[in-house]
Amino acid sequence: MKPIEVDHVSKSFGDTKAVQDVSFEVEKGRIFGLLGPNGAGKTTTIRMVNYITLPDSGTLLVNGIPVGQKTQKLIGYMPEERGLYKKMKVGEQLMYLAQLKGMTAGSAREKIKYWLERFGAYDWHSKVVGELSKGMSQKIQFISTIVHDPEIYIFDEPFSGLDPINSELLKEIIIELKDMGKTILFSTHRMEQVEQMCDDICLFNNGKVVLTGSLRNIKKDFGKNTVLIEFEGDGSFIDTLADVRVNNRSTNFAEIRILNGLNSQEILKKAMEKNEIHRFQLVEPSLNEIFISVVGEDNIKKQQLEELKA
Amino acid sequence: MNWRQTFLVLKREYLTRVKSKGFIWATILVPAGFALFIGVMIFVSVWDSEISYTIGVADETGMIVKSLQEIDDERYTDVSGLSVDSLRAMVQREELTGYVIITDDHIEGSQSLELIFSGSGGLQLLTTVRSDFRETIRQERLARAEVSDDVRAIFESRVALDSRRLTREGEEREDDTEFLSGVGFLMGVIIFGAIFGYGGYIMRGVIEEKTNRIIEVIASSVRPIELLTGKMAGVGAIAITQFAIWILAFMGLSAVAGPIAAAFMSNSEQMGADMAAVESEIPAFLDLPTIETSLIVYFIIFFLLGYMLYSSLFAAIGSAADSETDTQQLMLPVTVPIFIAYAILFHAMRSPDSALSVIGSLIPFFAPIVMVTRIAITEVPFWQTSLAILLMIVTFAGTMWLSAKIYKVGILSYGKSANFKDLAKWIRQ
Repeated sequence: MKPIEVDHVSKSFGDTKAVQDVSFEVEKGRIFGLLGPNGAGKTTTIRMVNYITLPDSGTLLVNGIPVGQKTQKLIGYMPEERGLYKKMKVGEQLMYLAQLKGMTAGSAREKIKYWLERFGAYDWHSKVVGELSKGMSQKIQFISTIVHDPEIYIFDEPFSGLDPINSELLKEIIIELKDMGKTILFSTHRMEQVEQMCDDICLFNNGKVVLTGSLRNIKKDFGKNTVLIEFEGDGSFIDTLADVRVNNRSTNFAEIRILNGLNSQEILKKAMEKNEIHRFQLVEPSLNEIFISVVGEDNIKKQQLEELKA
Repeated sequence: MNWRQTFLVLKREYLTRVKSKGFIWATILVPAGFALFIGVMIFVSVWDSEISYTIGVADETGMIVKSLQEIDDERYTDVSGLSVDSLRAMVQREELTGYVIITDDHIEGSQSLELIFSGSGGLQLLTTVRSDFRETIRQERLARAEVSDDVRAIFESRVALDSRRLTREGEEREDDTEFLSGVGFLMGVIIFGAIFGYGGYIMRGVIEEKTNRIIEVIASSVRPIELLTGKMAGVGAIAITQFAIWILAFMGLSAVAGPIAAAFMSNSEQMGADMAAVESEIPAFLDLPTIETSLIVYFIIFFLLGYMLYSSLFAAIGSAADSETDTQQLMLPVTVPIFIAYAILFHAMRSPDSALSVIGSLIPFFAPIVMVTRIAITEVPFWQTSLAILLMIVTFAGTMWLSAKIYKVGILSYGKSANFKDLAKWIRQ
C-alpha cells in the first residue's frame, strides 16, 4: 500500500487539458519531487490528490483509499497560494484549522503549544495574524500544515516567497519529517532545490509526465557526460564546439553537455589553447539539463526556458 | 455533507463576527438611533413652536380678513390700504412672508386668489393658507346669499368614517389599517435592508478568504458545499442574534418611552397652558396597537427564506470576483430583483390585494419583501402564503445548487474576476 498512487489521471478545464493521463507512485518515507515549468499541471495534480479538484478520469489513492474526506485528514497540505485569516488570533486560527483536520480540541491545544514553543512563537498565541511580520506568519503557516501530525505532507512550491531563514527552517522540517518516516511530496519549478532534497522525482511538461523514477537512477542513466569547466582567458572556444549544449555560461565558467559521444578531452584541448584551466570536471547532468534533454529544446516554450535558466 | 465540518465553519463565522467591532457597533447604534428617534419625536411634539409666517391680507371687502384673523390672528395681518408696491417691498424685506389681495370679484365671481410670497414656508404653509381662504370665502359667500342657518349647519357638518374589521372567524375588531400599513412597510424595508446587509457580509467574507489566500488551505479540509453552508448558517445566526438584541431593545425602549414622555410633559406643563393640550397627543404615537404573533412568525419565516435565497447568490458572486471593487457588474442580476421587489413594496402598501401585489408576493425573488407587507396589511389567503413559501424553498434549492457550482470553481480561481460567460462555463462543468 503506497502513500500516494496516481493512476492514469486526466483533468481538463474547458478546452485546456491541464493534466493528461498522469501516473506516478510515491513511496513511503521518501521525499518526492514534482518538477516542471509553471503551468505544467503540477498544482492541478496536487489539488486532485488533496481532493480539492476532482479528476475527469483515472484514480487517485492515498494509503490505498480513494481520495475523499477521509484521506484529506491524512495529508498536511501547504498550497502555493497560501495565507491566514488576518483578523483572527494565532491560537484560535491554528485551533480552527486543526479541528477541521479532525483533531479534538484537547489534543489540538497540546500540539499547538508544542509547535509554537518549538518555533519560539508562543508569545504570539494571542496576537492577531495581521499584526505579525511576514516571516512570523510563514512560521504559523508551517505549523498549520503539520499540527495534526499527518502521515503525508504535500508542499506546493514551498520555497516561493519564503525568506532565507524560513527557507532553511522548512528544509529542516522536511528532513526531520522524513527521518520520522513520513512521506513528503513537493512541487517546484526550481530544479536545483530538488537536487539537494529529493529521493524520487516526476517531471511534468504540458500536463504530461515525461520522466519519473529515483533521482539517482535517472542521473545514472544519463551518464557522466557533462563538463564543468572553469577557466581564465578567451571563452570563445565554446562557440566552436559542435554537438554540445551549453547550459550555464559566464565569463569564466561553463556547463557543457556532450550530446553525441564527443570526447570530453577534445573540449579540454580546445580550451587549453587560449586559456588557463582552473577546473575541469566530468559530472552527471543537472536536472535542468535532463529536463531539456527529455522534453527536447523545441518543445519548451521560450519563456519556460528562461524560467529554468533563471 | 459532513456536519461536523459545517458546524466548525459556522462556529468560526459566528464567533469572529460576533466579536468584531463592526457587529458590536451596528448592534448598539441601531437601538441608540431608535432611542434618538423617539427622543426627537417627543422633543418635537413638546417644543415644536412653529415659525410664524405672516401673510398680509389686503381686503377691500373688510370681511374676509376678520374671519381669517379669527382662525389665526398671528398669521394674518390686515394690510388693507397699502399699495401693491409697498406690499412687494415688505415681502422682499421679509417683513411679510407673502400677501393676498381680495376684492369683491373674488367673492362674487369665481376669480382665483393669488398668493405672492417669498417661497418660504413650504407645502404646509400653502395647504394651510389655501384651506383657510377657502373656508372664509365660502362662509362669506354663504353670508351674502343670506342662507338659512340650517343650510350652514349642513355645510359645516363632517361625516366621520370609522372602520372596523370583520375577520373570517366572524370577529369584529378595531381597524388598524393605517398602523398596520406602516408596520408592513417597515417589515418589508427591514427585510430589504437585511438581505443586502447580510448578503454583503457573506460576499465580503468569501472575497476576504480569496484575497487572504487561505481558501485553498481550508479547501484541503472542507468540501466547498460544507464551507458555503457553514458560512451561510453562521451569518444567519449572526442575523438572528442581532435581530433578537434589537427587538428586545425596542421592546424595552418602547416600554420606558411612555413614562419618560409623561415625565417630560408634567415638567413642561407650567410652561404654558397650551402645552397641556399637546399632552394628550404624545402617548398616542407610543401607545401602539399590538402586533399579532402570527405576523412576527411570518416575518421571521420570510426573512430567513429571503436571506437564504439571496445569500447563496451573494456568496457565488463573492467567489467569482477577485476583489470587492469587481463585484459591481456581477451584482446586477441579484440587485435588480431586490429593487423590483422594493418598488412593488410601495404599491403593495397602498393596494395590497391588487393583481400586481398578489403576483409579486408569489414570485420567490420578491416574496420575502412583498408578502410580509401584504400579510401585515390585509388578509392573505392561506394558499397564497403557503404557495409563496413552497416556491421559495424550491427556488432556494435551485439557487443553492447553482451557487455551489460557481462557488466550487470560483474560490480557487485567482487573478481575474470572472464574467458571466465564465460563470456559465463553471455551471456546466
